[in-house]
Order: sequence, then structure tokens, then C-alpha cells
Amino acid sequence: MHRHEVIIIGGGVTGCAIAYNLAARGLRDVAVLERYYLASGATGRCGAGFRHQWGTKTNCLLAKHAIAKLETLAEELDYPGGIDLKQKGYLILAYTPRMVEQFKKNLALQQSLGIDARWLTPEEAKEIVPVLNTEGLLGATYCPKDGHANPFKVTDAYARAAKRLGVKIHTYTEVLDIKVEGSLKTVLTNRGTFQAPVVVNAAGGHAATIGRMVGVDLPIKPERHQILVTEPVEPLLDPMVISFYHHLYCQQTPHGSFVMGLGDPNEPKEYNERSSWQFLVQMAGKIVRLLPPLKNLRVVRQWAGVYDMSPDAQPILCEAPEVPGFFVAAGFSGHGFMIAPMTGQLMAELILGQPTSLPVDMFHLSRFSRGELLIEPSVV
Amino acid sequence: MLPVDGIPTPEDIMAKMPPPERLARGPVVMVECFQQIPCDPCTHACPRQAILPMKDINEIPRVDYEKCNGCGQCISVCPGLALFVVDLTYSEEEALVKLPYEFLPLPAEGQVVAGLNRAGEEVCPARVVKVVATEKMDKTAVIWLAVPKNMAMEVRHLKVKPRGTTVICRCEDVTLEEIEHLIKVEGVRTLEEIKRLKRCGMGPCQGRTCLPLIAREIYRLCGTEPDSLAWPTYRPPVIPLKLGVLAGGGSDDAQA
Ligand SMILES: Cc1cc2nc3c(=O)[nH]c(=O)nc-3n(C[C@H](O)[C@H](O)[C@H](O)COP(=O)(O)OP(=O)(O)OC[C@H]3O[C@@H](n4cnc5c(N)ncnc54)[C@H](O)[C@@H]3O)c2cc1C
Ligand code: SF4
Ligand code: SF4
Repeated sequence: MHRHEVIIIGGGVTGCAIAYNLAARGLRDVAVLERYYLASGATGRCGAGFRHQWGTKTNCLLAKHAIAKLETLAEELDYPGGIDLKQKGYLILAYTPRMVEQFKKNLALQQSLGIDARWLTPEEAKEIVPVLNTEGLLGATYCPKDGHANPFKVTDAYARAAKRLGVKIHTYTEVLDIKVEGSLKTVLTNRGTFQAPVVVNAAGGHAATIGRMVGVDLPIKPERHQILVTEPVEPLLDPMVISFYHHLYCQQTPHGSFVMGLGDPNEPKEYNERSSWQFLVQMAGKIVRLLPPLKNLRVVRQWAGVYDMSPDAQPILCEAPEVPGFFVAAGFSGHGFMIAPMTGQLMAELILGQPTSLPVDMFHLSRFSRGELLIEPSVV
Repeated sequence: MLPVDGIPTPEDIMAKMPPPERLARGPVVMVECFQQIPCDPCTHACPRQAILPMKDINEIPRVDYEKCNGCGQCISVCPGLALFVVDLTYSEEEALVKLPYEFLPLPAEGQVVAGLNRAGEEVCPARVVKVVATEKMDKTAVIWLAVPKNMAMEVRHLKVKPRGTTVICRCEDVTLEEIEHLIKVEGVRTLEEIKRLKRCGMGPCQGRTCLPLIAREIYRLCGTEPDSLAWPTYRPPVIPLKLGVLAGGGSDDAQA
């Protein structure tokens, strides 16, 4: 039997960031339980991008603060090899008059919050991405400080920093059940029993299953997203290119390979991490039209991961009202990697009962029963 | 013995040790200057005047340890390479030693090097945390080394080990030595972790060449049978395919 102050379920970027932030604030008796290896869930499978260009004030601020942290994360966490940070912007393409109108609204909001994002004509977009086919393009928005980082290294950096501060990380330890007696929670795993007054659910696509173990109903559903990577080549593409119209994103990593993915609006809501050949064909068709010179690049690998979708595509960050001491940090709906530095900080503040550095009330689970959804217009 | 071979005895070192209470509070300078010689740059180098002014230039430097914050700015100034900063509070298992280094090439941050003691003998592996080498330092770099805690008072120099030459992963250019280091020093035990830390298996061969070799190293170093290891998923496509071909644009010449 292991006794701790806090048990975190899930060794993705969220769980590890929360563990580090708790330990850095002095709460070091923390254990992270991960069923497989660190970053084996959505984190290690994700597109790894981060952007300031959001359509709600809440998300703009969250992203802005989180990205500022990513910029200096390697120093803060003393991670000498770095996290493969690349800041060459995101180019978000507009193909319909409605998109133009919405994007310009988003820009006004972003600029009012001090985010350096701007409108580009198709010609200007082509200057930034010479390989772009501008046919049908009405314009684009661009923020040079957007970019991406290596999710495995970010998670590893948080995990190592947390371990140095005394956090215990148990990999290959799967949570099977949780018993609540008074304020104490007993967590049963395939590798022994753990107890703590505080349990944090950071289980990504499995968050609803963990919630059910303590009788907390979380409206989070897994949704498969597929992605592929090509052979590495010389630098060709600076920014991440996103098209909501085509439901796709594509970027070149510092390693030289291209990583690209599609969102499929008809994807069933079930746990599925298998790849399909249909994805390869669809992805290739769309990207070769959008960035024609990529047709000569070879695909070396494809894989799939799940988004932990919430009804409004926004995370749930709170203490469950019905089970005091049971905290939820899940439902990231496809953008949990980039905000993880802030998720870690905000959750640590919530758990320690400290004032939070950004407002978090709107992320409370109770918003769904109150019908106060936080709709974000800007998601793939 | 100093006069004979230039190597200080444990008593010599004890006499130069900062007080234990001060060591327990974090980084602090350790002045391993033993001989009366006409030399005083250290007394001028410290922005906090922690190395006390000398009345006579032949004096051995004395330190006000309360003033020293362990910044290490004095290190590159000493022509005798006698100044070090030791931080016993660096982490649970490791201490940090900041030391002067005048060899080229400089080690890279993150690189694992051999920690040498005052006699020049290898005593432990050490990890380069930071390399400080500005124009002003006039070619005396300061290297921050993370060493096992019990080696904080032993390691005073480093040796860059030549990069291994046995390539295990040809797609991503990873050597046997790098894999051994992950297993032996970093405690990595699984193929999945090695794949994500070093990209072995993420290249065009999809791990067909490297993963069985790595599995054998894990077996050799930790005794885990390859059959009981979790093997990363082999993912489609089986051979690299051009996007243009997948998009329906004719055949891929190189593979026809
Ligand atoms: C294809 C794809 C592309 C993406 N692109 C981006 C992007 O560009 N930018 C961005 O910001 N985000 C992106 N995301 C989203 C991002 O990956 C996630 O939001 C983020 O990684 C969530 O991290 P997490 O730690 O909350 O969840 P996860 O990484 O899923 O971690 C949860 C962990 O919990 C563990 N777990 C589950 N059940 C149990 C149990 N019973 N016991 C013990 N452990 C358990 C799992 O093994 C897993 O490791 C993408 C996601 C996918 C799938
Ligand atoms: S480490 Fe910094 S504060 Fe201490 S003696 Fe050297 S220069 Fe002065
Ligand atoms: S500069 Fe170095 S050698 Fe000279 S007195 Fe100071 S510590 Fe001794």
C-alpha cells in the first residue's frame, strides 16, 4: 500500500505538468499512475502545434500564457536538450466569405489582447508559403509566434523535473478501480494499491471511464484522429498550415519530416487507435492539391490517436462537486498539448486552494447542466 | 601531495571546504587555491566582493561565504583554474559542479561525459547541464556538470568521450553507445521509450533493422527476454509511398 497526498491518473502531458506544478509549489508527495509508458496516449500521437489564434477571449489568453511558458520551458525545467521548439507561425486559410468574416472578428479579438496576428492576402500568404496553391483562397490569418514543440520531450521534461522534486512516477500501472471512503480515496491498480485524499483524473480519452469509478459522470467521448509523417527533407514549409475548410493541418518539423492530419466530421465516437488506408488516400489527395510540391514526398508512417471530446470542445478543469478531492483535467478536444503548461499551473492552484492565475470557473463541469457551453468557433 | 604531484590530500581539501550550513543552502564557491603566489584576479572578479580584498598580493584568497551566491562569475578569471562552484541542493540525486574548461571542442549541453577527480581519474558519468563561453571569458569556458551527489567534492574536471561509432539505427543515425547510455544511466527499459527518445524505429525502415538489435541490448544489459518486451506497433505503409501516388497520380518510379 502506497500512501500519498495526491494521486494523478494519466502520464500524458497534462498529468506530468500537474505533478510538476504541485511539486514546484511545495506539494511533493505526489504519485503519477500511467497504464503504459509516459506520453503513450494522445500526447505522444498529437500534431504538436500551438497557436495564439483562437476565437474566444478565454482560449486566446490561455494559449498566450501557455505559449509564453513553452518558450522558456527547457530552462524552467532544466531540460538541456531542449523541446524542439519551432516558432514559424500558423497560417490559417479562409475559403468562404463567412470564414473571412469570422477570422477578421477573431483577429480583432486577438489584437485587442496583445497578440501579434494579422490578415494576409493570398499573395502575401504565398510569400510566406511559396509551395501554397492559392486557387480559391480568399485570404489567411497569420501569427508568427505560433509554432510547435516535441510533445514527448515536453512530457519527459515535466516528468524529470517532477521526479527531481520527489514525485513518484509509476509507469505500466493501470488504474482498475477507485473506492471512496470519507475523504480518502483508494486506487486499485495492477501493481498494488494507492491511497490519497486527492485524486486527479488526467486520463485523456479514458477520463469518462475513470470518472465512472467514483460515480462522476463526465461528458467526454473519445474521437479518433489520424495523422501521418513523411521522410525528412530540407526546410520547405515555415508555418503550420491549417484549413478548416479542408479539415486539415500540415507542418514541417525541425527534424525535416512533414506531419499532417485530417479531422473527419463523420468519425464515430468510440475508442479507436487503429489506422485506416482511407485516411492515407484522402489526406494525400487534399494535401497534394493544397501544397503541390509535396507530391514527391514519401509517407513513412501513419498512426491514430483520440481526441477527448467534450460537448463544447473545451476542457473540464475543476473539482467534482459530488466527490470532494476528485479533480478533473480532461476533455481537451484536440488542443490539450499547447495549453498543458497552463493546465498544470491552474490545476495545481485549484488543488492547493490558491487563487488561480487565470479565471477557471467557465471550465467547470457544471456548465453543461446549466447549459452554459463555451463555444469556440476556431477548431479543426 | 601538493609539492610532489600537485594533487591535494583530503586534509588539503577539507581546509578549503565551505561551511556545511552554507553548502546546505545552495550553490557556493570553493576556492582550491593552495599556494602563496602573486595573484589576485579573483578578488576583483566577484561582483559581490565575496572573495575578500588582499592586503598583500601573495595572500591566499579568503571568502565571505555569506556574500557568495554561487554565480560562478569568478571561475573563468582564475589563471590557476582553482575556482569551482558546488551546489549540493541541485536535485534529490544530483549535485551541480561548475568548473573551468579550456579544451576544444566544448561539450554540448545534455551530453554525458566522464567526470574526473583531482588526479585526473574517471570517477563517474556526468551530464553537461550548461556551457557558458562568452567573448569576455577569453576562452576559459565554464561547464555546469550534474554529478551523483556523493561525487560533488570529487569531480573537478571532465573528459569528453569520443562519440561511439557503432550505428544501430541507420535511419536516424543512433549509435550503440547512445542506446547503452539510455539503458544503463537513464534507466530506460522499453523499446517504446527508446523509440520516442531517439526516434529509433520512426525512420523509413520502421524499426525493422534497429529494434531487434536494441531488444538484444536490453536483454544483454537488463536480462529482459525480447519476447516479454512490448514491441512498438509496425505502422502502415509497409514501404514508404509518395503522396502523389496515394493521391492517384501515377506510379512511384523508385519503387516500381
Ligand atoms: C492526432 C492528434 C493530433 C493532435 N494535435 C494537437 C495539436 O496540434 N496541438 C495540441 O495542442 N493538441 C493536439 N492534440 C490533442 C492533444 O494531444 C491532447 O489534448 C493532449 O495530449 C492531452 O494530454 P493528456 O495528458 O490530457 O491526455 P493523454 O496524453 O491521452 O494522457 C492520458 C494518459 O492516461 C493514461 N490512462 C488512461 N487510462 C488509464 C488508467 N486506467 N490507468 C492509468 N493510466 C491511464 C493513458 O495511457 C494516457 O497516457 C492532438 C491529438 C491527436 C489525437
Ligand atoms: S561564485 Fe559569484 S558570488 Fe561567489 S565568489 Fe564567485 S563571483 Fe563571487
Ligand atoms: S585568481 Fe585563482 S590562482 Fe589567483 S589567487 Fe585567486 S584563486 Fe588563487
